Amino acid sequence: MYVELHARSAFSFLEGASLPEELIAAGLELEMPAMALLDRDGVYGAPRFHLSAKRNGLKAHIGAEISVQRPASNSESSSVCSVPVLVRNRTGYQNLCRLITLMKLRVPKHAKPGECVATSDELAAHAAGLVCLTGGFDGPIATAINPRDTENTRKAQSTVEWLIELFGKKNVYAELQRHLDREEEARNHLVIEIARRNRLPLLATNGVCHAIAVRREVSDVFTCIRNHVKLESAGRLLAQNSERYLKSPAIMEKLFSDLPEAIANTTELSSRLKFTLEDLGYEFPKYPVPSGETMASFLRKRTEEGARWRYTGANGMPTYERARGQIERELTLIEKLKLEGYFLIVWDIVKFCREAGIIVQGRGSAANSAVCYSLAITAVDPIGMDLLFERFLSEERGEWPDIDLDLPSGDKREQAIQYVYERYGKLGAAMTANVITYRGRSAAREVGKVLDFDEETLSRLAALVHTWEWKDPKDSSERQFRDAGLDLNQPRIKKFFHLYQLVQDLPRHLGQHSGGMVICRGQLDSIVPLEPAAMPGRVVVQWDKEDCADLGLIKVDLLGLGMLAVIEDSMKLIRDSYGEEVELAHLPPNDPKVYEALQNADTIGMFQVESRAQMSCLPRLRPAKFYDIVVQVAIIRPGPIVGNMVHPYLKRRQGREVVTYAHPLLEPVLQRTLGVPLFQEQLLRMAMLCANFSGGEAEELRRAFGFKRSEARMKAIEIKLRQGLAANGITGKTQDDIVLSISSFALYGFPESHAASFAMIAYASAYLKCNYLAAFTAAILNNQPMGFYQPFTIIKDAQRHGLKVLPIDITCSDWLCTLEKQADSTLALRLGFRYVRGLSQQTGQAIVRERSIREFAGIDDLRNRVPELRKDELRKLAAVGALNFIQDTSRRDALWQVERVTRDAGELYEGLLEQDGNSPLQQMTLMERVDADFRGTGMTIGKHPVAYHRGELNKLNALRAIDLRKLRNGSFVRVAGWVIVRQRPGTAKGFMFLTLEDETGVSNIIVTPQLFDKYRLELVSNPFLLIEGALQNQDNVISVKASHVQPLSFAVTAAPSHDFH
Amino acid sequence: MFACIHAPELPADFSLPEFAYSFSPIVEEVRPGTVVIDVEGCELLFGSAYELANEVMQRAGKSRAQGGLETTVSVAIAGNPDATIHAATYLKGITFISPGEELTCLGDFRIDRLDYSLINVEGKVAEEVLETLKLWGIRSFADFAVLPVAGVSERLGQVGIKLQQLAAGKTERQLKVKQPAPVFANSIELGHALSELEPLSFIFARLLHQLCAALNAYALATNEVCVSMQLEDQTTHERRLSLPYPMRDHKVFLKLLLLDTEMHPPQAAVKSVSIACDPVKPRVLQNGLFVPLAPAPDKLELTLARLAKLVGEHNIGSPALLDTHRPDAFSIKRFTLQTDTGGRKRRKKNKQQVVSSNQQCLGFRMFRPPLRAIVEVDQGCPTQISAWSKQRSVYGKVVNLAGPWRTSGDWWRDDQWMRDEWDVTLERQGQQSLYRIYKEIDTEHWFVEGNYD
Repeated sequence: MYVELHARSAFSFLEGASLPEELIAAGLELEMPAMALLDRDGVYGAPRFHLSAKRNGLKAHIGAEISVQRPASNSESSSVCSVPVLVRNRTGYQNLCRLITLMKLRVPKHAKPGECVATSDELAAHAAGLVCLTGGFDGPIATAINPRDTENTRKAQSTVEWLIELFGKKNVYAELQRHLDREEEARNHLVIEIARRNRLPLLATNGVCHAIAVRREVSDVFTCIRNHVKLESAGRLLAQNSERYLKSPAIMEKLFSDLPEAIANTTELSSRLKFTLEDLGYEFPKYPVPSGETMASFLRKRTEEGARWRYTGANGMPTYERARGQIERELTLIEKLKLEGYFLIVWDIVKFCREAGIIVQGRGSAANSAVCYSLAITAVDPIGMDLLFERFLSEERGEWPDIDLDLPSGDKREQAIQYVYERYGKLGAAMTANVITYRGRSAAREVGKVLDFDEETLSRLAALVHTWEWKDPKDSSERQFRDAGLDLNQPRIKKFFHLYQLVQDLPRHLGQHSGGMVICRGQLDSIVPLEPAAMPGRVVVQWDKEDCADLGLIKVDLLGLGMLAVIEDSMKLIRDSYGEEVELAHLPPNDPKVYEALQNADTIGMFQVESRAQMSCLPRLRPAKFYDIVVQVAIIRPGPIVGNMVHPYLKRRQGREVVTYAHPLLEPVLQRTLGVPLFQEQLLRMAMLCANFSGGEAEELRRAFGFKRSEARMKAIEIKLRQGLAANGITGKTQDDIVLSISSFALYGFPESHAASFAMIAYASAYLKCNYLAAFTAAILNNQPMGFYQPFTIIKDAQRHGLKVLPIDITCSDWLCTLEKQADSTLALRLGFRYVRGLSQQTGQAIVRERSIREFAGIDDLRNRVPELRKDELRKLAAVGALNFIQDTSRRDALWQVERVTRDAGELYEGLLEQDGNSPLQQMTLMERVDADFRGTGMTIGKHPVAYHRGELNKLNALRAIDLRKLRNGSFVRVAGWVIVRQRPGTAKGFMFLTLEDETGVSNIIVTPQLFDKYRLELVSNPFLLIEGALQNQDNVISVKASHVQPLSFAVTAAPSHDFH
Repeated sequence: MFACIHAPELPADFSLPEFAYSFSPIVEEVRPGTVVIDVEGCELLFGSAYELANEVMQRAGKSRAQGGLETTVSVAIAGNPDATIHAATYLKGITFISPGEELTCLGDFRIDRLDYSLINVEGKVAEEVLETLKLWGIRSFADFAVLPVAGVSERLGQVGIKLQQLAAGKTERQLKVKQPAPVFANSIELGHALSELEPLSFIFARLLHQLCAALNAYALATNEVCVSMQLEDQTTHERRLSLPYPMRDHKVFLKLLLLDTEMHPPQAAVKSVSIACDPVKPRVLQNGLFVPLAPAPDKLELTLARLAKLVGEHNIGSPALLDTHRPDAFSIKRFTLQTDTGGRKRRKKNKQQVVSSNQQCLGFRMFRPPLRAIVEVDQGCPTQISAWSKQRSVYGKVVNLAGPWRTSGDWWRDDQWMRDEWDVTLERQGQQSLYRIYKEIDTEHWFVEGNYD
């Protein structure tokens, strides 16, 4: 029997060509009882290796190849070698993680090869619990000797002595690899001699780099990418043959038939390696509680305090007494699962945020918990909304709960992250990683480069990868290649295509997850190696979010949400300018203005309900209460759309269809959504009620059908589901319908709790827009880029709602947009310098700083007092009219002056200086001003650019957006406007949706796939379009089904549209 | 006065400057398709400026044989060369601009037509000025020209002034006169087609002599001679003689050309011969005092050419190992003499590779080409080998072996390869010898590659 104890996966980043799962699958096929994964300087692939092995009944040994700087001796200079180590026990694993962390944190993220190394002393300090192999071609012996050297025996002996000194004699194995290489065999003879002399056990390995032999091609491609060479010029950098694949015990026994003990020792060593990742030893940190308290008692007290504050019984809120039962049930389970510390730690983060004035709101399944609601972690009342707690936490599942916290994006979120680092120490908390894999264009480009394609072909190959979300089923690879002028029958193109497919999904490098943080009780670096992130001050673990969850590491997601920042900024502006206090937690519920705006789809800028699809649904759903917003947020999702739930729900809501249930048992579950399943929780409840699943089993069902689908797992759970349904007398078509709706929904369904959390923010954004338009618009402009629309559309929308927008003005604008009280006591929005393209924040702030000292007397004065102002910045300020107010001048006059003040005239012309400063230039025309506005700020506060061409458009019989409302369904219309959004969603079967804007509002255009093919270029590249087609007016949802497209040439540099690829 | 001739659709094989030389010896080629000529004093030849312009227009439309360009041109005449360029480029037909009337003619031109390359202004700087003008709302040459000079100078500096003068047609400059380029090419049309080398050699000698004389006159040499022969069967026979160093000795060229023609004779009788070369700077070499003299480059080249004629040109040169795992892969490089430093380096490297006296070492004698072998195999291992050629025979029973040593590569190409090597001890008549054999995996053919000494 043979066990492979030296295998690399693709997580050695460009030094291995197979995923850990592929190695395990190959091992399983070869009936290997165990296998070891030794990735380069890390345990990146270990969780996937471990879990895959566990699923398949193999034992997964963990190790790594550590880059070590050997000390220099009298006769030898220092050199870097790769020392393969295997983990024997938990101490060994902890030592390995600490050693890697030590190496990695010492150098920057993108350290050069050879810089990230451990020293001999560090290796010695972390050798306990580890077994060392003498290595392959880059191992300590191979790098110490030289084929032509007579001193090889002595050098090999001293190397082995060094390893024995570090690891102890029992923990050093003389490694032999046979890749049918003459030079390697010569080295093997030396290793055998030294092993015999030192009585070291021999150990056969195959130094595996890929699971199967044909993957050698990927390995060679990676070698080229790593060394920045092409295959043709890589020469001997490439593998000599394809022998580094996972070989069967029979092949290995034959290869080592002269040394049977080397094979036998693999099972002996495997039996010594007791450690697996099951024994990780991870503990979530305990929360420090006052003396006399336990974490459980402390949590109970905080929850009770919160519950009494939350559940007052006012405004339809449940009473404390009603909530107490659910809270008690949750607390009991939390205590049983020993999760008190986790809840207290999240509570602590939330508390810090509140004290620091940072808006924080829990999202995701945590909103199903009354304890989270009481602790102010979440803002949605799960009892009032009858949310399912099991979706969040269940005893059966044996998994950690997942609490995601939404924070305002930007500095505030960073403040919260830094608090966690400070609280738990730099080595006690880290961000989760994000493994960047080879996909699409990156794969096409890099493989193409290695095959030495010219730049033009590379661009064509990269362009083959689809940019639109929608993929035409006719788009076979052959067709795509043919369309790009590439022949798949040509050998090199064919090879490219083959390699392109092989490298898909293989890891490329390690990134940083947007907000996931892992916290540990002891030092996190003894659980998983840590390494520096690209962002200063950040540390990441070597595992991604899924790996951490799979291994039971609790993470807290601190996610940045632009809208929270908008809400926070709005509140500050309201306080400063309106003199009113608005709190997120105490917004007046059921504000009629909010529901009116929602029913009219007047939602530009509002969170989650502003998209084109949401807008076309709102007039039909007509939200009238908070729960309707929850439904609205959840309904425009792939789950309901793919599952054909949207139309039945809307029809039932409009009373056009009778509310029915597939089975009477489903009525209590689906009553709120009129018999149509819309939320994940409903799926769980359906399984619980109709198939007698427990809460945990139902969650298991959701996961089985969720993202990480496994055929076997799905089949098993489907059988169980059908058995449960049959036991309740649900058979035949009804059973099939229920199974189908559950299985199709699990993948894309949206959790009700999550929808409710988002609906809260959506309501808040709508409330602020409807009641404090100036503050809300200023805040949203100050947090761009975010949301669905460009700033120009947001401004035009605000202007249509009556907001006065003032231009950028050097005498009163700040860096950000601000509010100014007008003579009639109304508030106007003053655009900030941040919208002057090319003006740096530092300069903008310098202008404000100087102005606060003394007003600017003129452009000369401005230039003299703000030395940061570069010539191009001054020109830009003049071009957008920001300098007009300094001396009551025009843009052209200002531009004339700017050129003078930014250039030293010199002595010769000093006497010739014009005294009056009058400019000989002509004033800008109206269109020139609009063009300058768009070029300089991406927006204009004057008339809409389309309005200037209304005369021409009238001649073309083009209607305004507002006129469409008055026409009958089916009328043939022409409409023209500026394309502000282009979409071709994956769920829309090739249809394209355009949003055109004119001076009166927006109109929605539907483009069929056939028309898209016909007018592809015009549709994707022209900023102004004239569309002809039939008007569709369904329940006040107005759109035009295009039958002809014509580009319009307007002399304005339009801001780019928001295209969804 | 100056005249600009602008030929926007000039056929590729016509030369506008040559056409312009027929009117005036002072010609500036502004860009391909546009020239300016100084027509001062041409009145006696062509009459008034307008008559000259007419003559240019008429002659340009004529055929090549009649000295024309076979295309339509536009012509502008003015007292300022740059004004003529702008006018001829953007106005069709004949434009005559009286002195002082430049702006009347050019004033309406869009400002982005201002050709700043005419006044030696850095492109980036000029573009910046044009961008500023655009911001100022300056749309035409006239808009720019009427701006106050002091104001422009204050804001745009000297570059602005120059550009403003250009727009106003008031620049002052001399023409950058273009000299006709020397031609290093000769050709001869033969009265009778030649099919023998000997008479052809006289033609070669004459043409090469003229060519080398021209090179000598300009103190130049060449490292490539191109010969083109029109043949009786209407085909063209072309040869290129690449030389390792620039030379200009017509005798050497002739010998090389004759040797090459012997190796690559034309397929039919020769009707005409053209010989051309690219001139380069001659090689100047100072030999070291203590460096042994190497053969003269021209003699060495002749020797190599003679050897190439004997053994074939692909079989002569220096072998160079290729960076690949493919066994015995090498290419033939052109033979060149090693320079002194190269020699020193090589010697040093060789010294490093000397095998120490106490190290056991086997020499390997490679059979070129390898011997095709018949090999008996038992459980994948060779047991009996027999291979013959005219020079040697290898056969015997395998008594000891090591291997297989496997190599494979070039998997992305059509000629990918894979082979297994074995080191075998063969016993024949009580004597043992050590050989290396290999099997090509795709063909399953066995070969004996060589023996160990």
